[in-house]
Amino acid sequence: MTPTASWTFKVFVKKLRMLLANQQFLLLVVLLAMIGFFTALNPIFFSSAVFGNILLDWGPVVLIAVGETFVVISGGIDLSVGANVGLSGVVAAYAMEAMTNSHQGQNFTIFIGLLVATGVGTFIGLINALLITKARIVPFIATLATLGAAGGMSIVFTGGGPIAGGPDKAITLSVPWLGPLSTPGIVVIILVTVIGLFLHKARFGRYTYAIGSNSFAARIAGINVQLHLTKVYALSGLLAGLAGMYFYLRLGSGAPTSGAGGELDAIAAVVIGGASLSGGIGRMSGTILGAFILTTVTSGLIIIGVAPDWKQVVVAVLIAAAVLVQGLRSSARDI
Amino acid sequence: MAKIGDILLEVKNISKSYGSVVALTDVNMNVRAGEVVGLVGDNGAVKSTLVKVLSGAYQPTSGSIFLDGIERHWASPHEAIDAGIETLYQDSGLAPHLSVSANVFLGREKTVPGLLGRMGFLSQKYMDMTAHADLDRVGIAVPPSSRSVSRLSGGQRQAVAIGRAVSWASKVIILDEPTNHLGARQAGEVLAVIKAVKARGLGVIFISHTLPHVLQVTDRIVVLRLGKAVCNAPTSEFDADRLLGTITGLIETT
Repeated sequence: MTPTASWTFKVFVKKLRMLLANQQFLLLVVLLAMIGFFTALNPIFFSSAVFGNILLDWGPVVLIAVGETFVVISGGIDLSVGANVGLSGVVAAYAMEAMTNSHQGQNFTIFIGLLVATGVGTFIGLINALLITKARIVPFIATLATLGAAGGMSIVFTGGGPIAGGPDKAITLSVPWLGPLSTPGIVVIILVTVIGLFLHKARFGRYTYAIGSNSFAARIAGINVQLHLTKVYALSGLLAGLAGMYFYLRLGSGAPTSGAGGELDAIAAVVIGGASLSGGIGRMSGTILGAFILTTVTSGLIIIGVAPDWKQVVVAVLIAAAVLVQGLRSSARDI
Repeated sequence: MAKIGDILLEVKNISKSYGSVVALTDVNMNVRAGEVVGLVGDNGAVKSTLVKVLSGAYQPTSGSIFLDGIERHWASPHEAIDAGIETLYQDSGLAPHLSVSANVFLGREKTVPGLLGRMGFLSQKYMDMTAHADLDRVGIAVPPSSRSVSRLSGGQRQAVAIGRAVSWASKVIILDEPTNHLGARQAGEVLAVIKAVKARGLGVIFISHTLPHVLQVTDRIVVLRLGKAVCNAPTSEFDADRLLGTITGLIETT
């Protein structure tokens, strides 16, 4: 080999290793491989109708996963988001039903529904924050308690069935008009982008990383750790409330089970996206791709005719792989 | 700005107990502008407790703290920092996942001008450059500002922590075991930084169990034993044997 050839080879190897160390790149490869795999087994998969459906599924998952990203980076966990989606959707549905019965305008009714859903979601987030920062209960237990309470309440309120009777206009809002995108989908994309900027470019995100990395260091640097964690859990709750409204707009009713298991999807998306449950690590782009991978798996399995329950198994493998990659990267760094 | 020799920070009859466990009993000490006071003796916990009381991380059970002769009560480290007291904690003052400049500016981030700045958007370029210049000015061999602290060596981390404290302190800087885990050359650099800080008219409280460093850099030494300040004398009155004797209690003090 000439010196030049060996030099270019070395550069190539170095670049390759840098790409492999880049979690976002790996996720993109996994996502494209999945699309290729599902398309090979059933060409119908590669259609705008299916992508549109994946995008619709992606909305609520990414909303709660984005909140979970902040929580996980801060070193905590929020198990209540799935139940929060159900409860906030149900309460908003009751509010919109009552307003429709008293002949309020449709747009105004939906607007109030949105306020109620985000209000309920934020309220649950604030209860989490109170339990964690004031009662000093570890996040896992605190949010497990609110998961139970919110999940139980939405079943008790509704008797288990969906609450309809809201404005007719609600469901038409979820009809795609910009390619595969509907109005709620566009709102989600804008929101996720803006919140991502706050995570990576603004003080809010900086404090979140600092607290997850070393909360003592954050405290002695003058950061009000309790106040910031309160904001983080409130944000997670608010986004869960938005996801509750998203489901309402998609289904035309508020179902108590609409967010069931959503917390596991959110945590899976965050972890597959490269965040560490011990805090201080994670990226918004990873979470976004992680959520895409989850919803692609769900749709893909249905389309190739495999029982959707296999999704759990595929997700489990992806989580294990993501944690493995992370371990390899941090051990490579230690050397 | 206080004149050289003015008392900056003073504590009177400070006690701290945790339930029935008494850590500090009636401790008195002070630090003047342009003075390095060594704090030695006892186990690390008691010294660290005093450090945390001085820096606002703990509230004393009884006793008072004066800054520039005015009694102060720090409810949080933030208040002490705002008053001009910077503390370098042993080992735990940095966020390892953040970059060098993010650590130097932690809690005091510089934002971009205008509306985005009010929303908290950061001026990363400014902070990277300023952090580098600040560390450079105090004579610390600096790693690149954008590198994650977890990728630095122990000495480099310590350098960043000291540089951070020095670049923000306006009155007093408290250094808890700053030469711990450092090689001889790096420790020498740290001592040089302390002398530079002193020359700028700041008060320095230097906590260490490495007695040669204490003898080399301090003007006065306070010895803690069993939670009490048993000795407070100019460094010139000590040699290594006498200092060790005072710490262990072999030499009686009054």
